Amino acid sequence: MKGLARRPWFAPVVTLMVAAALWFYPNLLDAAGWPVFYLLFAYTVFFWTAQSSSWNLFTGFSGYFSFGQGAFYGVGVYAVGVLVVKQGWPLLPTFLVGGLLSAMLGLFIGLIVFRLRRLRGEIFALMTLAVAFVLGAVARVSSTIDGGQGIPLSSVPVPEALGSHPEMIFRLGLITAVLAVVVAQVVQHSRLGWGLFSIRDDEDVAETLGVPTFRFKMVALGLTAFLAGLSGAVHALQVSYVTIEEVFNIRVPLMVILMSILGGTRHWMGPVLGALVVHTMSDRLNRAGLEAVSDLIIGGLLILMIVAVKEGLYLRMRERPWATSIGGILGVAAGFVIGPLDSAVTHLAYVLLGAVLGAMVPQGRRGGRPSSPGAPAAEAIEEAVGG
Amino acid sequence: MADLRFENVVKHFGGVHALDGVTGHVSGGEILGLVGPNGSGKSTLIHVLSGHYDADDGRITFDGEDITERPAHRVIEMGVARTYQIPRPFSTMTALENVSVPLMFGAQPMRPEAARQAAREWLGFTGLEAYADQPISSLNLHQLKYLELARALAARPRLVFLDEVLSGLNPSEINDSIEMVRRIHASGITIVIVEHLVRVVTSLATRIMVLDRGRVIADGDPGEVMRKPEVVTAYLGKRAQGA
Repeated sequence: MKGLARRPWFAPVVTLMVAAALWFYPNLLDAAGWPVFYLLFAYTVFFWTAQSSSWNLFTGFSGYFSFGQGAFYGVGVYAVGVLVVKQGWPLLPTFLVGGLLSAMLGLFIGLIVFRLRRLRGEIFALMTLAVAFVLGAVARVSSTIDGGQGIPLSSVPVPEALGSHPEMIFRLGLITAVLAVVVAQVVQHSRLGWGLFSIRDDEDVAETLGVPTFRFKMVALGLTAFLAGLSGAVHALQVSYVTIEEVFNIRVPLMVILMSILGGTRHWMGPVLGALVVHTMSDRLNRAGLEAVSDLIIGGLLILMIVAVKEGLYLRMRERPWATSIGGILGVAAGFVIGPLDSAVTHLAYVLLGAVLGAMVPQGRRGGRPSSPGAPAAEAIEEAVGG
Repeated sequence: MADLRFENVVKHFGGVHALDGVTGHVSGGEILGLVGPNGSGKSTLIHVLSGHYDADDGRITFDGEDITERPAHRVIEMGVARTYQIPRPFSTMTALENVSVPLMFGAQPMRPEAARQAAREWLGFTGLEAYADQPISSLNLHQLKYLELARALAARPRLVFLDEVLSGLNPSEINDSIEMVRRIHASGITIVIVEHLVRVVTSLATRIMVLDRGRVIADGDPGEVMRKPEVVTAYLGKRAQGA
């Protein structure tokens, strides 16, 4: 099983099979007479999965911290707003155009910042943050784009073949999320992925060992931006009115960072799990009228993760399958006791919360990484350098 | 045939002339010993020749091709590899994964799975098979230096720079490492070795080049070079001259 899981085609094939099954979920929902809310809930998970997987592809793998997600996402949303609503373009090709415009923005940023060795680290993060604000300012001034008025999106003409609005948004979200996840899976097991991992660990050494660092960073940032733009373009159908303040702000980058770090940045599954956990929790807390507490709890969880579980939730859960499963079962049990179990999403929230807590319960030192042999090496290195 | 030539190579750091017009060459089959006191520019020369730093002036050719402006990943692709004086492993990877990275790139790039298999061979060559799946933090300095070596060799170079692979090691480890360098040389790889220990350099090198304050002050037969008065002064200090 482990050998099979290491095959590069294994994860994408499983993902596509899961996606094929999910494709018929709206029909099942319809037949069973369940509320349409489940479709919209699932869509939002898909949206955040696509966004955080896309962010993680560049930042998680290469270590270059990007706050540019808002800009890439915003280009996608505005591509639909401007081209479809104002210019009358057909919808489906515009999704692709949104992705491509965003990719061009990503490549343009890369072309400037990757040329200069001193723009590594926090300067890169600040540069990407600035791009979103600059784009917002441009959109506000330019009346062809926005002009400060915002664009109503509720009248976007949707091809009838895509079905009712909830079904359509569910399926478009599914396609986008699956695309982002499969791209991340393929990259993780490819030379590109290994090149990015080595860049994250030590970029100079990566370059002297033959990794074309400039090209790889460009390709990764281009893919990230394309997927974020595509997902943003699809998301335009889910918002009824787009404004600069809501698009080019810090929320999208902060959410994807939160989700990816929570789930783990080293594996494609990390952002997927992070998106599911964070959105489910915040959805339930908001529904219970605890918006203020929601941010507090999720923020606290992030701090706990950074301090206690550096590798992220996914790798920790894989390492401790029993604690995770028991936690999940206890979560369900707690749900029955505490309630209210008004919705399947609440069940899901209890399972996830239980599993997360189960995986995070401190266990006795089980060997782990021996720290003693490393320490003398470090001392000896210092000695060698000193002498 | 590995033939590296460099003419009037200059490298400044602010006002400091780390390399002040260095000229020399390494030819196929040699073991060139690169020696000099601390701060004489040995490591800087390796950085510049391997493409890690760009030269501020001068010309570098390998097998007749100008590589002065070439990025480092293209230099190693041509067959010039290097190790780092202070080991710089990829810290989130295992030993095996570290060695598999150069195998995925270069002139004959391999797929990640194939590279992983091939990397075992190079870990074996340096005696690190037992550490293949260990995290880097479990390796000691001697093993980290061998990992540097395995990674450079995995790039299948024709010329390799060994930047103080012996410093910080105990006498028995040093003897092991000298044997290792001989085996690498015997496999047909040209070697440039930077080393502090005179005994080691004179026993290994077929030729020695002495750097002092960014300039070449001697270049030639190991025995003769190390007896030159200016070398003795520069390399061993004034005290040695008096004694």
